[in-house]
Amino acid sequence: MGLQIGLHPIDIIIIVTYMLGSLLLGWYCQKYVGDAQDFFVAGRALPFWAIGFSIVVSDIGAVDFVAVAGAAYKNGVSAANFDWMGSMPAMVFAAFVFVPYFWRSGVFTVPEFLGRRYNAAVQFVNALIWAVVLFVMLAVMQWVTADKLMYTVLGIPPYWALWITALVTGFYTFEGGLTAVVFTDVVQLVVMYVGGLGLLALSLWEVGGWTALHDKILALGPDYQNHFKLLLPHDTTGPFPWTGIVFGLGIVLAIAYMSGNQVIVQRTFGARTEWDAKGGMLFGGFLKSFIPLMVALPGLCAIVIVPHLGAENADRAVPEMIRVLLPAGLRGLMFAALLAALMSSISGTLNSSTTIFVTDLLGQARRVLGKPPLSSKQGLVLGRVYTALFIILSAVLAKPIADREQIYVFIQTVLSLFQGPTLAVLLLGIIWRRATGWGGFAGLVLGVIFCFVLKNTPGLFPSDDPFLFVAWWSFVFSLLVTVVVSYLTPPEPDEKVRGLVWSSVVRDESAQQALEERISQ
Amino acid sequence: MEKFFAEVFYPMLSPIFRPINAFLSSFFEPYASICAVGMFVLPMIWVGLLLNPRYVNRGQRYKSAWTDLRIWTVLSMIPHVVVYFYFR
Repeated sequence: MGLQIGLHPIDIIIIVTYMLGSLLLGWYCQKYVGDAQDFFVAGRALPFWAIGFSIVVSDIGAVDFVAVAGAAYKNGVSAANFDWMGSMPAMVFAAFVFVPYFWRSGVFTVPEFLGRRYNAAVQFVNALIWAVVLFVMLAVMQWVTADKLMYTVLGIPPYWALWITALVTGFYTFEGGLTAVVFTDVVQLVVMYVGGLGLLALSLWEVGGWTALHDKILALGPDYQNHFKLLLPHDTTGPFPWTGIVFGLGIVLAIAYMSGNQVIVQRTFGARTEWDAKGGMLFGGFLKSFIPLMVALPGLCAIVIVPHLGAENADRAVPEMIRVLLPAGLRGLMFAALLAALMSSISGTLNSSTTIFVTDLLGQARRVLGKPPLSSKQGLVLGRVYTALFIILSAVLAKPIADREQIYVFIQTVLSLFQGPTLAVLLLGIIWRRATGWGGFAGLVLGVIFCFVLKNTPGLFPSDDPFLFVAWWSFVFSLLVTVVVSYLTPPEPDEKVRGLVWSSVVRDESAQQALEERISQ
Repeated sequence: MEKFFAEVFYPMLSPIFRPINAFLSSFFEPYASICAVGMFVLPMIWVGLLLNPRYVNRGQRYKSAWTDLRIWTVLSMIPHVVVYFYFR
């Protein structure tokens, strides 16, 4: 208990004000919600700046503040690759290939798009995978924050912290849907940046500036000589060799994440114009490039300021820095920033998992059972019911799910299991007219199985934790399977793929017309 | 489970991945930095020069340099190029 931080009354006032403000803003947004389109895609009225803010803050959770700082403490600045190499190139690609295409097709979810392009089986498998992963992420982020931050640092019982954040975020997501999620995200990003950059400034001040930080870390010995290198040799035993960073992260994981992750792309589905959808993605990428300054550099500063932690306690770097460095008032602000990061991630994940569940799983089940599609009002009611159900269930199951493995690696490993195969299927579906429904299905299912085999077969790669290589090779494998099975099966009729292949959508006006007809159906 | 996978799949997969690993291990700098910087420069060229400007800015409400997404792309990418040169 000696390591816990006492909060000054002013810190508590800042945190409570922030929580109440979020609740009120979310509640205010309910007046814009009248049907399923309003709830799931904000009535397609979002401006680019709100989309950009929301993408960043939904992507960065309190887990990142803790775990990326921990990874930087242990492995150096190479941990920042996830927000540099792992963001901007993929976001540019997403902005000009996937986003306009999704936006024009008028879908609510990525699996829904896959269902139109391939078949219901691909839609169902993809939706099921995403629903499970989003639910696990929801539980993990809730428990990690409650346990690693609220309890370890503040001494607040973890179940109290978990239920308070779950109820606040659950309430405004329930009331305001995506509109509430996005506009609370805007406020949360500002709070997060002020808190995060404040911690960075004080950390650098304490260390004596950038040059002093550099010199002091390099003087610690041979184990620290790579701490200021973004790219490490292929045969490094750490998790971030350059080949993994460029191929696994830059080409596969990042593009899959930015183009196929419902939490990210759902904001662009809600854009008021195609330009806002693309501009929102680019603006989000620009804002995201500042994230390593807030999450990775304080981890480096912690090597000098709290050297006693050791690699095994690396995840305690940020809590320790808060305890050692921040005065009353700023501590409250920093915790408000961490709460902002947490709540935005929870609300975004919650809204997206509900959208997938109602649109893809429930919608498909009704179709199979021969029931009519959900009306817009029914969609809204079910969206709210499942929002409440998911947040309660994830809070109940948070501890058993999350209480295992090193936080960041766990989430990345779960994601990497199907990111490669999903990207392969999505990419071929968009750029290659000959890809067939069976090709896509085989590519997705066999790709995930191959990924599982690679992940569990030791010694194939030099890295101790080769999730970047697993992502890359499962992507390549799924591409090959999809191509081979597509050639072995009859081509899709022209009518089915008309308006659903990127080249025709971009160049051919009649294909545009076909797409608009599909939207109006 | 790892033991099972090691016995069943390792003998099949290691002849494929061992030579690939050996090949990649022989490359590091400057190729690593060139590849990394290329990940930023190529999208700049693609969006700035190769894509149709009408497609890039479709849906734009006010036409000006400030709302030209080609310029946004380039300006967002340049700091990353600097960062990857600095942390070599």
